[in-house]
Formats: sequence, structure tokens, C-alpha cells
Amino acid sequence: MSTDAARPDAADGGALAPWVGGYLRDHAIHIAVVAFFIVYPFLYDVLVGQFGLPAEMLLPRLQTMLVVLWLGLFAMSFDFVSGYTGYLSFGHAAFFGIGAYTVVLGANGQLPLLPGGLSFMTLMLVSALLAVVVAFLIGLVSFRLSGVYFAMITLGFAEIMYVASRNWDWLTPGQSDPSDGINTPAEFNPELGVPFVDPLQVETGVFGDDAILGINFGDLLVYNENLGAIVASYFAIGAVVLVCYLAMQRIIHSPFGRVMIAIRENEERAKAIGYDTFKFKLGAFMISAFFGAVAGALLVAYRGSVNPDAAFFFLVTGFALVAAIIGGLGTLAGPFFGYIFLEGIEEFLARGGSGGGLQPFLAEFLPGGILETTIGGDLTVSGALDAFMTGHGEFYAGIVFVIFVLYVPIGILGTLRLRLGTDSVATYVSRRLGGSTGTGGSGGGGDSGAGESATAAGSVTAEGGEEDDPREGGPAEGSEEDDPSEGGPAEGGK
Amino acid sequence: MLRTTGLTKRFGGITATDDVDFELDDELTSLIGPNGAGKTTFFNLLTGVLQPTEGTVEFRRDGEWTDITDADPPETAQLGIHRSFQITNVFPTSTVLENVRIAAQADSDDSLQFWRNVNAFDEHFEEAHAILDRVGLDGKADVPAENLSHGEKRKLEVGIALAGDPDVLLLDEPNAGVSSEDVDDIKALIEDVASDHAVLLVEHNMDIVMDVSDRIVVLNQGAVIADDVPENIRGDPDVQEAYLGGYEAGDLQKERAKRAGEDAEGKTA
Repeated sequence: MSTDAARPDAADGGALAPWVGGYLRDHAIHIAVVAFFIVYPFLYDVLVGQFGLPAEMLLPRLQTMLVVLWLGLFAMSFDFVSGYTGYLSFGHAAFFGIGAYTVVLGANGQLPLLPGGLSFMTLMLVSALLAVVVAFLIGLVSFRLSGVYFAMITLGFAEIMYVASRNWDWLTPGQSDPSDGINTPAEFNPELGVPFVDPLQVETGVFGDDAILGINFGDLLVYNENLGAIVASYFAIGAVVLVCYLAMQRIIHSPFGRVMIAIRENEERAKAIGYDTFKFKLGAFMISAFFGAVAGALLVAYRGSVNPDAAFFFLVTGFALVAAIIGGLGTLAGPFFGYIFLEGIEEFLARGGSGGGLQPFLAEFLPGGILETTIGGDLTVSGALDAFMTGHGEFYAGIVFVIFVLYVPIGILGTLRLRLGTDSVATYVSRRLGGSTGTGGSGGGGDSGAGESATAAGSVTAEGGEEDDPREGGPAEGSEEDDPSEGGPAEGGK
Repeated sequence: MLRTTGLTKRFGGITATDDVDFELDDELTSLIGPNGAGKTTFFNLLTGVLQPTEGTVEFRRDGEWTDITDADPPETAQLGIHRSFQITNVFPTSTVLENVRIAAQADSDDSLQFWRNVNAFDEHFEEAHAILDRVGLDGKADVPAENLSHGEKRKLEVGIALAGDPDVLLLDEPNAGVSSEDVDDIKALIEDVASDHAVLLVEHNMDIVMDVSDRIVVLNQGAVIADDVPENIRGDPDVQEAYLGGYEAGDLQKERAKRAGEDAEGKTA
């Protein structure tokens, strides 16, 4: 992956302004990860086509990766408030549900004050803003409490909405039971993309577009031509998730984000140095609600329907919490990877019926003799595989979770950072690539004293540091966060 | 700078602060008293952590006294009254630099900026570096606060309070638990910060108190029992009474004799 990332860096570093090279180097790992996700559908297609069952066993299906996108975004929005301010937002599903339901109701023309026939992007924005308002009201009450009581009162609000979404007939006028969920009308085609730029609009869903910018993914896939629409949705939804991630990352690294971290670290002291922590917590809660609602809207973008159990149910938050713990609470990308890991484990250890996983693989490749061997009583090996594996993925995922809490309490990303000895993986990769980060300047000036200006430190190191042994590279010592980009040069470029 | 009038705090039947009239000027004033005298409670009343039962707290800004009795801790901090804590109270996993930087940021209007990278705000970093230099932690800027030694944590504690250029510094036992070799460092630090801030110091080490203070206020059971320059406090009988419980030379023998007498009575009875 690192070579992958180094290439654009080297290529651009020479020709463009010096800070571009530094910028790309600082974000090498981000670029590499995004590149991996872009390549994944095609990689999956080729590997599964070539190697069949063994590849299918190991690689998460494209459908799974697609689901992980919005669930991962939701887990990140959960972590944004829970992992960074330390207030466990256990009713976060409320915002996911508001996002999903507002879009569906809007598509059905049921939202008061709003005309029918609004585009999906508009509805998504409306739903996110509505979630912000609701978060403000919930936060006003809830942030008077802390610890377990905060978690419980937010859960209470979410449960109220859950019960309402199951029983309120207004949600499904003249139709079915609201607890079965609601559909968007057949003529509603959610289009994701850049507003007013037609080529950049993608109709999502199983029966949506299978091409973006004239590139037909059905044609690009060698073995799974029928998955073109899924790939197109994957890219469209993935783009929204990426934008949301970058926005949250940006906020975490802002002065506002630092106050959030200070609140997590020691709220009493944060108050004593002059922060009205109530306002900051409320602000962080509202921001996380915004992105939680976007995640809910993305669910509808693909599924076209929503039901209470997929939206307001407390386990929606529960899985986000599990993903956040596995990936690393207080690392923004962690919950996303945590979700992939969790879903991957579940799928590998045999989700019910369809898809790859260990069980079909074993059933196929183990010799018949072993499969027919009886273990005890009437139970054969084949029967045991059926009994213990089929449909029990979640059971094993639960065991994995317990192991994580016991032995990897800071999660995948947290552990990685600890091992690499940095505050962020991006900083580490940037250093390994030879440039001391431009992390900002003042951080960079850290070890020697206050003198240097940030801008100077940033651009000088970006140019000059190429060959430094990263381990000794002095200026890098002081850097402290990822997203170092802005030090000065990047800002200056605006 | 800061004054209280009839300041009283009762917890149920206990009077922790008893009708205190006190004014802090631009000098190094020490607040001493035996354990439980109400020193920390008094700090909490000044900074708004606790609300007084009676009385007022006022703060002078630009020559005008304003009533800050009802202000909460963020408000008093914003006004320029900063405190350090008796029990180290820092941001444990943040770096030493970030501990001070975040406090410097609190004094600015930048904290609501959520769209620009924190590294673009040089002034907070510069202020933080200057303060670390001053408290003698400049070599530790990138160390997580929890990894500091106890003495260094005490310096950081003061450093955080210094950020944001306060008018009044309330130092709650900066020497608490500090090993003897670090005591001189902290003492020098107290004298240094007193040169450009009004300082109210709570301290148990009498050598330091007598040495650095311009004025000493003695609290006992919540009330001010003495308020004078160090030389006069040293000989004040009320203060000795408060600290030593009225012990005078020969008291022990008298006590023993008295008890022996009681015992003898008990036996005969």
C-alpha cells in the first residue's frame, strides 16, 4: 500500500508547489486507503472469478462493503461525540432513524411545510438539519447529566422514537402496519451526486445506474457483470462517506475539536480554564447528529425503504459501539474499520445461507471421508458444521468482541498507533516516506523552542527533508496530529 | 483586584467559611491555616465552583468593582481569575504543550472555529511555548502529561493556570507532595509569577510561606484570625493557638498529672 501512495507523491512533488508534495506525503495513508476502496470491487471481481471459493471465503462481498459504508459512517458519527468528548451517546440511533425516516417521508410527500418531489440530496440535507435541531433539544436536557445517566437519557429519547416509529399510523397513511416499515414510492429514484452537475449524479439502488461519468461498471467487471449497479452505488455512497469523514476529521483537528478532547480528558479542568463545556458538548452532539442522519439517509438511498428495527432500534447504536470499540474509540476512522472487521468476521464464520465464508469452503474442500465421520451419536462432521456455523456469524463475532475488550481495549487503530509510537498512522507513514511532516508548524517548532514561524517550518521541511532518516528527522518530533496539511502552506494556498 | 464581603459558606451545620472580609491586592498573599480550616473551600467560592450561603465576591476591572458572586468557573476564568489545583488536575493523555495551549486558546475567541486546523493559530502555540519556558518544562513539550514526574506535574499545574494572562492567580498548594530537591524550583516559580500577577497562595510549608509572602492571612475554622505581614504572623498568639491547639511548654506534663489524678479518683470510688 505504501508504494501505491508514494507514486503520486513523487510525481507531483517535483512539478508543483513544494507544499503539494508535503501535503500528499502527509496524506499518503489516506490516499492509499481510498485507493484500496476504489480498487476493491474490481479486485474482488477478479480474485473471486479466478480462484472461486477460497477467495470468496476470505473477501467480504460487495454488498457487505456497501452496507458497511453507511453503517461505518454512522459508527464514526457516534465516535465523534462518544470517543472525543467522552459522553456515550447511547441513543445515537435516533439520528440515524431521523435521517432515514425524513428522507422516506419526504419522498412520500408527507413532510409538513415542504413541497413533494424534492430531490434526494435536498431531502438528505433537510434530514440532517432536522437531526441537528433534535440533537439540540435532546442535548439541552441530557448534558445536564454525565456518565451512565447521560447514556441512559439519550437511550430513552431514542426508545421513544422507536416506539413511535412502530405505532404511529401517520407514517404509513392508509397502508400497512408502521412496524413493518415504509417504502419510498416506485417513482422515487434517489440520485446522489453534486447538485446541478448532471454527469455527476448517480441513481443509487439495486436497480439504479451502473455507470458514472460514462464509465459502465458492468463492463469493467469481468466475472460479475450483474453487479454494475451495486458498484456504482458503492462509489456514489462511498464518496459521500468520504466527504463526511474528511469534514469530521477537519473538525476534530480544529480549535473546537481540541476543546472536545480537553473535555474528554478532564472536564473539570476544562471548565476551570474558561470553557463553558456545556456549549461545546452540545455543539459536538449536534455535529455528530448531522452526520448520523446523513448515514441514515444513505441507507434509504440504497434500500429505498426503512423499518423501525433498522433505524431507531437501540442495537443500531449497539453495533456502532461494538465497531467503535473494535476499531478504537477516539480514533475517527477506527469505527469504520471496526465495522468492516466485524462484518468480515461474521461473513467469514458463516452468515446464514448465502455468500462466502468458511463453511461452504469446508463443505467443498474437505474430503468426503472426513465430512461423513461421526463425532458422537448421530452427529457427523458435516452435520456439526451445519449446526455450529450456518447463521451463527453473530455468535462468533460476539466472542471476538469479548476478546477485543479483554486484550485489545484500545482497538485496532489505537493499537496500531501505540505500536508505531505516533499519534496518528498518517504521521508515521509520512515520516517513513522521508519527509518530516509539515504538521504544523508550531508543533514542528516544538522541540527547539518558539522561534520559527509555522509557514517557514512547514515548507522548508517539505522540500528539504526528502532523504532524512525518519527516525532522526528532528523537526518531525514535534508533530502531533494527522491532517497536518494545513500548517500554513495549505492555508496560504486558499 | 479581588475582594469578599461577609463571605459565608455552610454545609448543613458546618460553617466552612465564616464571614470572611478579604481583599487581594497586587502582591503575594498567602492563605494558611490548619487542615480543614476552609482554604480550598474559600478558593472554590472565589472561582465559582461553590456558591456562598451569604456574602459577595467582587472583582476589580479597570478600576470598577463588579459583583461576581454568581459567576461559574468558566466565567471567573474568562474574567482573569485562574487557579491551580491542590491535587494535580491536568489533561493526562494530552502532551504538555497541548495542556498549556488549550488553556491559552480558552482566552481567545478562536475556540468556536471548527473549520481551520488548530496549527494555523500560531499565537496559542507561541504563548504555550513561552509559558513552558517560564515554568521550566520547555524540554518536555511533547511528553504526555501523565508521564511527567510529580514535581513536573506541579509545574505544569501552574503553567496551565498561567495561560491566558490572568490578573489573579490562585495557587492551591503548588508544593503538595513535592520532593525536597524540587521545592526550590517551585518556590522560585511562585516568586517569578508573583512579579506580574496578583497571587493568592495556599501553602503548608512555612519556610516558603514566611520567605515569599508579602502578607499572610490565617484561616481557622473558616474565619480569618490574622492578616498581617509575615514577621507579625510568626509571633501572633492566636495563630499559634490555631496551629498548635493552645499547646504551651509544660502542657503535656500537666495533662499527664491530671489524668493520673483522675485515675486515682476512679479507683477509690
